[in-house]
Amino acid sequence: MTDRKDRAGSAAAPEARNLQSLRDVVTQAASNQSHRRLVQAARALFEADSGAGTVRFLARVAQGTSEDGGGLRPLRVALLSSFSIEFARDALVACGLANGLRLTLYQAPFGSFRQEILDPGSGLYSFKPQAVILAVEPNAWLAADSNASSSAQLVSEVEALARVFRERSGAALLCHNLPLPRWPAPPVPDEHLRAADSAAFTAACNEGLRGLARSVADFHVVDYASLVNRAGYDRWFDDRMRLYAKAPIAQAMYPVLAREYLRHLRGLVGLTRKCLVVDLDNTLWGGILGEDGVDGVKLGPDYPGSAFLEFQQFILQLRARGTILAIASKNNPADVEQMFRGHPFMALKWEHFSSRQIGWMPKSESLVAVAKELNIGLEHLVFIDDSAFECEHVRGALPEVTVVQLPAEPSQYVQVLAQDGWFDAASVSDEDRRRGELYQQREQAENLRAAAGGNLEDFYRDLDMELTIAPVSAASLKRAAQLTQKTNQFNVTTRRYSEGDVAKLVADPGWVACTVSVRDKFGDNGIVGVMFAGEQDGELRIDTLLMSCRVIGRTVETAMLAFLCDHAHAKGIARIRGMIIPTEKNVPVRDLFSRHGFSGADAGSGGPSEWLLDTATAPVAYPAWFRLSIDEAFGHETGERARRVQR
Amino acid sequence: MKQGSVRAVSSVDDSITERVRDIMSDVLQVDRKAIDESASRDTLAMWDSANHLTLVLALEEAFAVTFDVSEIESMFSLADIVSVLQDKA
Repeated sequence: MTDRKDRAGSAAAPEARNLQSLRDVVTQAASNQSHRRLVQAARALFEADSGAGTVRFLARVAQGTSEDGGGLRPLRVALLSSFSIEFARDALVACGLANGLRLTLYQAPFGSFRQEILDPGSGLYSFKPQAVILAVEPNAWLAADSNASSSAQLVSEVEALARVFRERSGAALLCHNLPLPRWPAPPVPDEHLRAADSAAFTAACNEGLRGLARSVADFHVVDYASLVNRAGYDRWFDDRMRLYAKAPIAQAMYPVLAREYLRHLRGLVGLTRKCLVVDLDNTLWGGILGEDGVDGVKLGPDYPGSAFLEFQQFILQLRARGTILAIASKNNPADVEQMFRGHPFMALKWEHFSSRQIGWMPKSESLVAVAKELNIGLEHLVFIDDSAFECEHVRGALPEVTVVQLPAEPSQYVQVLAQDGWFDAASVSDEDRRRGELYQQREQAENLRAAAGGNLEDFYRDLDMELTIAPVSAASLKRAAQLTQKTNQFNVTTRRYSEGDVAKLVADPGWVACTVSVRDKFGDNGIVGVMFAGEQDGELRIDTLLMSCRVIGRTVETAMLAFLCDHAHAKGIARIRGMIIPTEKNVPVRDLFSRHGFSGADAGSGGPSEWLLDTATAPVAYPAWFRLSIDEAFGHETGERARRVQR
Repeated sequence: MKQGSVRAVSSVDDSITERVRDIMSDVLQVDRKAIDESASRDTLAMWDSANHLTLVLALEEAFAVTFDVSEIESMFSLADIVSVLQDKA
């Protein structure tokens, strides 16, 4: 509940708890090897203070955990820079811990970024990084006669390096863009001025780098310009340390830089959050709806209503970028619905929320209900509430959930929620942008299923599903890699691939790498499945078979196996081998092979199990209710026939 | 460098010295007891040039001061550090 006593408490609490006691909680959790508590405690400490001492402490705790992660996600990150970036190390490792990652860093001597990438025997490649951060200042990209440099030259140099790197490594490449010049040249045409000193030059370079993110696989832009912009040049840089120690970034800014890196790194290990669960009273509007009424709560053009309105508009932006929204509120459902329908300044609409848990149950129960209804894990939820009590309750009951406690001052809400970029995938795909909408469609589909009265075949036919299977293409590479990173439940092996890795599979003639898309009467679900399989020893071996949870229970997986049978047949292969690697999450996929006629060891032992199917005697057939569109490049007879017959 | 000023130790100076020792112990990962009155870059192996900058930045943050480069290059012993900080106070 969100009364004013709670709010006073929330403001006082962080001051009352001193940093030492927060450190003690971290130490305790580390020694208990309780990684969820450790991450939570590390985050609480990092939020309370990101000074050098705290950062150093957290970095040492992180380094004390085992390198394979021990429950944390291990990630190997290389730092390549044109300047001394070593002072960023502790902040990065500390911020990693607060985000559930165990980072192992490699750092090349500053200024050696070109050699490290060009030399196949460099320390960079023997480190086997999973992500490489390329932190290069504008001057280091420019040739010595930079008077003549053009932005196109700079971008093509970055591209050349990125392409060499891409041939040798599947790691994600995160490249800084360029901050504006500190003393920009006046915007007048003058051939004696260095082009690189103009704001227009910087803008052109950054536009070119954005283009590389589209044309080079797994190349991402770290928006360094925005970081400098938000902090201001005078705060971000320390000219003294730049000139004296080649360390241009001010000490206090390293945690800010680390947060920015983490929003990319989280995406690489599938830790991007999917759903924002909001409290209502004193979160979306000021005051208590049940007491103040629709006319009494604060929301509108004047402070404090203006702060709440801006916060709603920010949340609406998150939704447009693909974040699912949900409500967990202690309120009377009828009051809330009246507020949404009747208040003139509600930017967020009732329909924007894919799950609405409004009642008097504990918030932990509401959050579990949200996760269940949306069919996503608790670790994909971010819960925001102004009440210290509710935040503590959820932290204690559900350590998987990310809890963001809003400060007492509503004008700070956007900053507090925005600074970590919880919902930013390494790259936003079209599916991300439409995710909120897709979940809305699924809700309708489930209502339809209930209405169909249990006759599943009628339900499937009524859905009018069109299934498209196509080779992974340049356009779908990003989405395919993203699905391998994000899909936990219906995923036979849970192998994570970067865009670079997938590009390699696609190029290999011994492999089939394809995407599965489903459209139904409610709309286009986009790409919802990925399969990678390779020919080996006269068998077609399924390396990866996964499906987004939004289409579980529609027999899409049967069609996927039917496709592989056709594919084996077309290639003259008699057997398909599948494997289940059990994880905490992939229970829904465990019986995939056994219920489709594969023979094999029961997965009861807890370890991986292998499954075989003789495609000549027991092929899996496409369910009759799909309209099929199988890409001709595969050369499948059945697919062709099915398409001719059913279209 | 006014090393002479260290001799006249007031209680305020004591507290500065103790805080500096805390920070040195944390940054250099050296037991506090090893950081005695004569502690310097010659007596502490961990106090290399990279750690020196980390130490200086930690001191700036803790005491809310900014050192000139000439000061940074004069702070190579506990006594020197305390002396520079006293001048800033």
